[in-house]
Amino acid sequence: MASLSTTSLSFKAPSIQSTRISQVLRKPSSFQSIAFGRFQSSRSLRLQISCAAKPETVQKVSDIVKEQLALSADTALTAESKFSALGADSLDTVEIVMALEEKFNISVEESDAQNITTIQEAADLIEDLVQKKPATEAS
Amino acid sequence: MSAPFTLRKIGVPPNSANLTEARRRVFDFFRAACRSLPTVMDIYNLQDVVAPSQLRFAISAQIRNNAHITDPKVIDLLLFKGMEELTDIVDHAKQRHHIIGQYVVGEGLVQNTGSKDQGKSDFLKNFYTSNYF
Repeated sequence: MASLSTTSLSFKAPSIQSTRISQVLRKPSSFQSIAFGRFQSSRSLRLQISCAAKPETVQKVSDIVKEQLALSADTALTAESKFSALGADSLDTVEIVMALEEKFNISVEESDAQNITTIQEAADLIEDLVQKKPATEAS
Repeated sequence: MSAPFTLRKIGVPPNSANLTEARRRVFDFFRAACRSLPTVMDIYNLQDVVAPSQLRFAISAQIRNNAHITDPKVIDLLLFKGMEELTDIVDHAKQRHHIIGQYVVGEGLVQNTGSKDQGKSDFLKNFYTSNYF
């Protein structure tokens, strides 16, 4: 009885967090696992949610960047590498954004595109737009 | 699928005030051109011949050719000519061999005659590329 009450208590509070957790991590998050790890890892999970972009998105972005800038296949591309550091001028950046638009079938506004300087930012923007798109199409 | 992009034909805008605005117009033109690429590939049946990334590269190469220019009025004029070319292509005023010859194969059909050019002098090579050398 006592154990039941504690699990129900801890589930109520981070209910918003739990749905986002399940979206980001894409695992069937069971009742017990959320209640279990709540106190330990809630802080780190919150940090993860704010800068979340799926690794395969980041990978696709890096592939397009490599192809566009004609980098060799073994150039190390981290998520934080800036386009200018890789040898891209502003026209290259615009071209990369257009290639991403075509690949992910999204439409990037000019104001959004100006803030993209690293691969991680591009992946985050793509995630946002991809998530917004089905919402508008469904309605 | 996001809404298909249509090229809106506006009148001639006033000259750009400074290099920053001219730069912005160059990027806007480039974006408009890239967004029209699916239409172009559709009109001229280029699906088996070339990929959109190659066409994007061709467009950016032409822009980069004139990257050294600093006078905003000259940039405006080049953009006007570029816009005119893009409008012609999107309106199907050109034909498939024009597109392939001008943007797919290389700088142009003349340059790609291959072995015939090898023995020629520098004079002729320069003569083919421009009037002034």
